[in-house]
Amino acid sequence: MRILLSLAFSLLLALPVHALDGEALLLQIDRNLNPETYESYRKLVNIEPDGRSREYVLFTVKKGLDKVASLFISPASEKGRSTLRLGDNMWLYMPGVGRPIRITSLQSVVGGVFNNSDILQLDYAAEYNVEKVEETGDGYLLHLRAKSRGVAYDRVRLWADREALLPTRIECLTETDMLIKTLHFREVKDFGGGIVRPSIIETDSPLYQGYRSIMIFAGIRERTLPDEVFTQTFMPNLESLR
Amino acid sequence: MGKVTKRPGWPSWLLPAVFLLPALAPAAPADEFSFEVAEFARKPYHIGGYAELRPVLFGLDTDAALHHLRFFDRDEGGTTAEYNGRLQFEASLEKGIGRLFARVNTDYSNSYLGESVEAVFYDGYLSLKPSPSLVLEAGKKNLRWGTGYAWNPVAFVDRPKDPDDPELNREGFIVATAEMIRSLAGPLQTFSLAPLVLPVDGDVNDDFGESDHLNFGGRLYVLFRDTDIDLLFLTGGSRGSRYGMDFARNLTSNFEVHGEFALLHDVRKRVIDSAGDIAEQEEDAGSWLLGLRYLTAAETTWIAEYYHNGAGFSREEMENYFTLANRGYEVFQATGDDGLLRRMRDLAEGYGRMNPMRDYLYLRASQKEPFDILYVTPAATAIVNLADGSFSLSPEILYTPVTNLELRLKGSWLNGGSLSEYGEKQNDWRLELRLRYYL
Repeated sequence: MRILLSLAFSLLLALPVHALDGEALLLQIDRNLNPETYESYRKLVNIEPDGRSREYVLFTVKKGLDKVASLFISPASEKGRSTLRLGDNMWLYMPGVGRPIRITSLQSVVGGVFNNSDILQLDYAAEYNVEKVEETGDGYLLHLRAKSRGVAYDRVRLWADREALLPTRIECLTETDMLIKTLHFREVKDFGGGIVRPSIIETDSPLYQGYRSIMIFAGIRERTLPDEVFTQTFMPNLESLR
Repeated sequence: MGKVTKRPGWPSWLLPAVFLLPALAPAAPADEFSFEVAEFARKPYHIGGYAELRPVLFGLDTDAALHHLRFFDRDEGGTTAEYNGRLQFEASLEKGIGRLFARVNTDYSNSYLGESVEAVFYDGYLSLKPSPSLVLEAGKKNLRWGTGYAWNPVAFVDRPKDPDDPELNREGFIVATAEMIRSLAGPLQTFSLAPLVLPVDGDVNDDFGESDHLNFGGRLYVLFRDTDIDLLFLTGGSRGSRYGMDFARNLTSNFEVHGEFALLHDVRKRVIDSAGDIAEQEEDAGSWLLGLRYLTAAETTWIAEYYHNGAGFSREEMENYFTLANRGYEVFQATGDDGLLRRMRDLAEGYGRMNPMRDYLYLRASQKEPFDILYVTPAATAIVNLADGSFSLSPEILYTPVTNLELRLKGSWLNGGSLSEYGEKQNDWRLELRLRYYL
């Protein structure tokens, strides 16, 4: 499937830029970032202006366009917590509280600059329509608009590398084009199984002057799981998938 | 457990522990981009939990009815201190489709009553998961039914939450359950069915209700058009049969609504009238809750809940109780006869429990990291008794200076007129510091 998509996209690249199919370009960027269905290990690091930092390690599984679940495996104060996203619905399970509670995409279960929507990221094509594509010196600039009000950012500007068709920078904006945060994609790494993608996403925000949050990827691999894994009921059992 | 009468004071080993805790926290990493998955490889066992110190200072209301009941034969003055410690230890062991889990809570308390230590198994169960769509469990377990934050009228098989600290773990009951899950395409996205059996016999679940009964219950959950819906029931004889439903839904990305409705048959309560005669009543009752969570652009989270407890006491019933407690104190002072006070104490299990009346409002606002101060969350909680207008107001500040260490300073101010719920509590105020370190 990946080969077919790449082939189709190579043909598209031969066309002049005004004929670029933005939706196909975005789909290809999504597929280059992650397989549609995968598991991964991530570390989130929140860095304060004075250099102090907090780290969180998550195990994440994703299936299809709209199903993502994450489990905190470190530190001890967060261990066993899990989050689930089904489209615009999000829940947080805390072992002490027991029953999963609904959370919103704009909150952050870890603090720092990443919010829940960043941590439980779906495919960009699942949440955004492409309004316009521009050709830049070494790649493309995609102007994206949210498909519904439930999406965390109204508008997104995505810069992608022409060769690799991977994002290099993403700006998240309000409806009035106010910048909320910028994601910087760095250090492209071969994770095996044909997955070659940035291993580090760094974010900063004018709303959090001096603070940085970093997401470090390791161990991404394609994995197919039953739909029942992506249910509220299964949230206390996510550890068993590791 | 073992009790020794002694004036309150910190045990000598606790104070050094407070200062040593931050030293146990890991230092910031030398390389912010290093990450080896192997460090976090899954182990077949898990050991964790937390240690906690919690000193509390109470400002006593020496004119209140519940103060008279507790302190009629002793003088504690205007304030009394309590020093609490807690060790909550949990462990699990997994092999194949099986998993054993245990959580033991050990509380240490040093108060005007003396010193006490109590260890209780909160959870201890075996879980079998032959497939992702089927989970079988047996043992002592918390089920935590309901979508409410402060109260859960549909939590038919749980011990009641403390609305003042609803996220605390509680002791479970011994049950056997099965949970079958189906995920579907279309408007009905998820469907799960969880029947349960709860025996009450001899020492098994002896505080749940009437003995020598095998109780049956269940929960049917659906995620239908982005709304969580549960249908729940419990029957079998230890308690009157009860039926309920709950729901939760996000209306927008920052606004959630939830609710619970329960019909309880044959709820028993002991009621005392103005003449001091005690009657045991049995009646059907309806209880319900409606609530919301709202996150503002400034990252203030609001939680509001309205709770109607149909099985609670009316204002007149509570006033009778408080009036008789006050009269009992007058009799004791005049004659030394404590008979009426002791009768009132015997009824405190009902009248003296948390939120014993019928209509309450819960309001909580918490602000994430105000003024860019990281890892600090101030909050304020109000619980209002709508029948008598009395209330408690609790400001707090939570700070996590290093990973795994939490400090919480919390105050509570109780206010209400004569013969009102919060006006007749034994305290006017309380101040509490909680230090918790996750292991």
